[in-house]
This record gives sequence, C-alpha cells and structure tokens, in this order.
Amino acid sequence: MDPVQAPGVYEGAANVIAAVMLLIEFGLLRQALVRDQVRLYMAQSALISVLAIVIAADRNLPDLYALAALSAALKVVAVPLVMRRLLARTDPGDGDEAQGVAGSQTLSPASAVLAGIVLAAIGFFCFGALKIHGPAAPALALALAAAMVLVAFGLMIVRRDVASQAIGFFSLENAISLAALVVASGLPLILETAFLFDLLVAVVVFTLLIRAQHNRSESLSTADLTRLRG
Amino acid sequence: MSAALPIPVIQLLQVLTVALGAPGVTGVIAKVEARLQGRRGPRVLQPYYDLAKLFRKEALAPEGASWFFLAAPFVAVTAYLTIPLLIPVLTTYGLPLGYMGDILGGGFLLSLASFVIATAALETGSPYAQLGSSRAKTFSAITEPVVLFVVFTVALLTGTDLPYALAATVRSSAGQIIRPAHLLAATALFMVILLETGRIPVETHTGTNEFGMIEEARSFEHSGPFLAMIRWGSELKQLILYTILADVFLAPWGLASTQKLGAVVLAIAALLAKACAVGCVVAVIDNSFAKLRLFKITEFAAGAFLIAVLGVFTLYLGGG
Repeated sequence: MDPVQAPGVYEGAANVIAAVMLLIEFGLLRQALVRDQVRLYMAQSALISVLAIVIAADRNLPDLYALAALSAALKVVAVPLVMRRLLARTDPGDGDEAQGVAGSQTLSPASAVLAGIVLAAIGFFCFGALKIHGPAAPALALALAAAMVLVAFGLMIVRRDVASQAIGFFSLENAISLAALVVASGLPLILETAFLFDLLVAVVVFTLLIRAQHNRSESLSTADLTRLRG
Repeated sequence: MSAALPIPVIQLLQVLTVALGAPGVTGVIAKVEARLQGRRGPRVLQPYYDLAKLFRKEALAPEGASWFFLAAPFVAVTAYLTIPLLIPVLTTYGLPLGYMGDILGGGFLLSLASFVIATAALETGSPYAQLGSSRAKTFSAITEPVVLFVVFTVALLTGTDLPYALAATVRSSAGQIIRPAHLLAATALFMVILLETGRIPVETHTGTNEFGMIEEARSFEHSGPFLAMIRWGSELKQLILYTILADVFLAPWGLASTQKLGAVVLAIAALLAKACAVGCVVAVIDNSFAKLRLFKITEFAAGAFLIAVLGVFTLYLGGG
C-alpha cells in the first residue's frame, strides 16, 4: 500500500488548526461547566484568528490581518464578556453550583462523544466526496469545518439549558467562519465583516432568550418548556 | 572516536541503554516533580539504590502461590528487554534483529508482560493485588482500540507498520511533522502512555491509598528480588514507551546513522536527554492536574480514542 503523501507546511498548519478547533468543539460537547464552555469558546475563536493570520501570511492577503483582529476583538473579548455577565446575573448567587453546572445532558458524556464521532464522520466524508478545492482551500480543513457544524448541532440538541445552546450556536458560527475562510478567503473585507456582525445579532437574540427564559422559570433549563400549559 | 562498532555490539547497546537508563529516568522525573512542588526531592540515583536494596532482601511468597508467581517478574522483564531490539533506540538504520517484529509485535510483548504480572497477582489471593490487576486489565482493554488506531495511522503514513519506517518518514520533511494525522496520533499515543505508566490524571504514582491504585497494587505480595524485578520492569516499560514516543513520533533526531563509536555514544546521550524531556512534561502534568475518579478514566480513554480516530479520518480524506 502506498503511503499517503504529506501536504505542504502551510496546508499542514491550516489543517492542524482546523483539527484542534474540531477537538475543542468536542470539548464543548463534553464540558459540564458553562463557565469552562465559555473559556473553550474563547480558545476556539482565538484559533480562527490565528488561522486567518496564517492564511494572510501565506497567500498575501493583507485584508485578513484586519479580519483576524476584528474577529479576535469580537469573539475572544466581547462575546465571552457578554456571556459571563449574563451568567453572573442569572446566577442565584448563593454559592450553589447548580447553576454553574450545565448538567443538562440528555446523553451521558461518553455516548455524547461517540455520537459526536459519528456526526463528525458523516460531515467528513460527505464533504470529502464533494472534492471542493478553493484557491486557499486545504480540502481537509473544509471537511473539518463541516464536521464541526454537525457536532455543534449535536451539542445544541443534547443540551437542555439555554446558555449551553447559545454557546453551541456561537461555535457553529465559528465553524462557518472557518469554512468561509478556507473556501473564500479572497472575499472583500466588507463582506467578511458583515458576516461577522451577523454574530452580534445572534448574541442579542440569545441574550434576550436567556433573560426571557430566566424570568419565566427562574432557571436556564429548557426542560420546563416541554409541558403544555393552557 | 571513529572506530566502527560491530552491529551485534550496537544491538546489545540498545538493550543495555534501556536496561541501565530506565531507573535513572524515573529518578529524574521524581526529582523534577519534587522541585516543582518546592521540595528537595530524592537523589536522581535513588531508584538504583532502591533496586540494589531490594535485591539484597529476603524473598517471601504467599502460601499456595505456585512457580508462576515467582517466574512472572522475570518473564515480564525479559519481554521488556526484547522490545528495545525492535524499535529505533540508537540507530536510524534497522538492525538485523529489528525486523523480528513490527509495532504490533512490540505491543504483544508489552501486553504479555502486563498479563503475566496480572496473573501472578491473581495467584496471591490478596484482595488489593487482585483489584489492581483487574483494573489494569480493564483499562488496558479500553486503550487497545486507541493503540490500534495509532497503528493504522502509522500504516497509512508509511505504507508499513515498522517503527523505523515512521521515524524515517518524520525525518524526511517538515510537512510530515506538521500534518494533522501525525500530530493527532502522537497526542493519542502520549495519552495512552500516561495511562499505561500510571501517571496523573489516571493514577497517583507515589500514592499509598489502595483504593486509587491500578498498576501499583499488583506488586503488593512480591518481595525482595522479585519486587525489584517488577519495579525495574515498570521503569523499563516507562522508558520504552517514552523512546517510542520520542524516537519514532516526536523527535527522531540525534540517532546514529553510522556505526561510528562517537555517533553511537551521542545517540545514547540524546536518547536519555529526550526521555528526560518527556519525563519533565509528564512531571508538569503530574503537578498541574488532579487525579481523575476511577469511573472518569474511561472518559480520558474516550478522549484519546477520539483523537486517534480523527487522525485516521484526516488521512482518508487525503492531505491529512
């Protein structure tokens, strides 16, 4: 059997960053504390800025430096800050960990990870079969992004609290940014920025959702919503 | 310094380096760990003194234990000392006996050694020794798939499953190092090594609480020279696993490419330095994480499995 050829250093680096982002996505799936989920989300967002810098340096796209800085300011600083303040406000504040622990998995962590592997495999091989090759696109990074999207969906499905679901949604946006960066890194900066600000809309919507949910049922769990009320 | 060594001597040196260096590496790790905790720590040579002391002590066996109980430590050490013949310890070129077995062959020998020790622990009738061996077997069963996927990755990367071939592939270009499949496989292997050598986050290496013990508990009923052999065996296993990680996966540099005496001596020094470097990382992990609860260890193994599977996935798409 012939060995699989090694990609170049640039492609390798881009793929490694994408792979680490996928691993962080699994970390989000596994992590029980909402606060640590926010931390993982910060790490994932920081990585996408690093990837933007790598692509900018290798493909001579100076626009991407600006995008990297903007994306870092928004996703590494602003969004986690908003999430933390929101969590602090919805916390009952009696030192009880009940609120900090998402603890809302419908599946056990091990089954969730196994389900995540299956989802990732589906994303992987579907996108691998498409054989998309962009100008800056390591095909693998695109497939990793697809796997991340599916795992993020899985995360939103298996969690039963609004905060974790919000973080799942934000990380889904990270996955889409990754795909966009890989497939269409030559896009005008204004468009990329516009996409980035879509995230802000999502943040506002989720902030409202979390507050409304907390006001209504004094908890972030969506378990109460399944009951019908006349 | 330019005298060429005959091949059999180099082959013997591979075994001797591992055999004599292993307690030293353990000593370095203990020392680094102690310094990180602000203690002075034992001497680096302490494991050698321990072994020497145990070899002079009287040996006792529990009533009803058969010859197997006494033979097991020696079988285990023999198995451990055979593995350095199969992996690149000192040379970049395969030595004649190096092709007796591939990575799976080395894996079989490691399992054989841990199997005989576990069986010997069962013979004693001591509850803690049995508990330890039962746990050790359970966890090695769940790390088996991880090891298999790491081997698959190696096979896909090189087209063979010879450790020498992977080391040569990694040396060949920077692109081979930074490819995700290689890094993921190396990470998964490192996690397996933490589990197999009984380090935090799986097991407290120096703990005395029987309920948390896995590997350590197996040797409870052995004493004297037999205990010394088991201790030495686990030190050998640790150095062998570190050698596989460093010389095959992470840093296959500094190996001798000729038979010159100088190159071989340099390779011995490089190997011990690399093993100590891996040991320092392990000591830092030891000091910065808490031990996982026993039932959480499966999740640790699941994490390693995930990483190894992703490694194979990335290869199947090409470009991984």
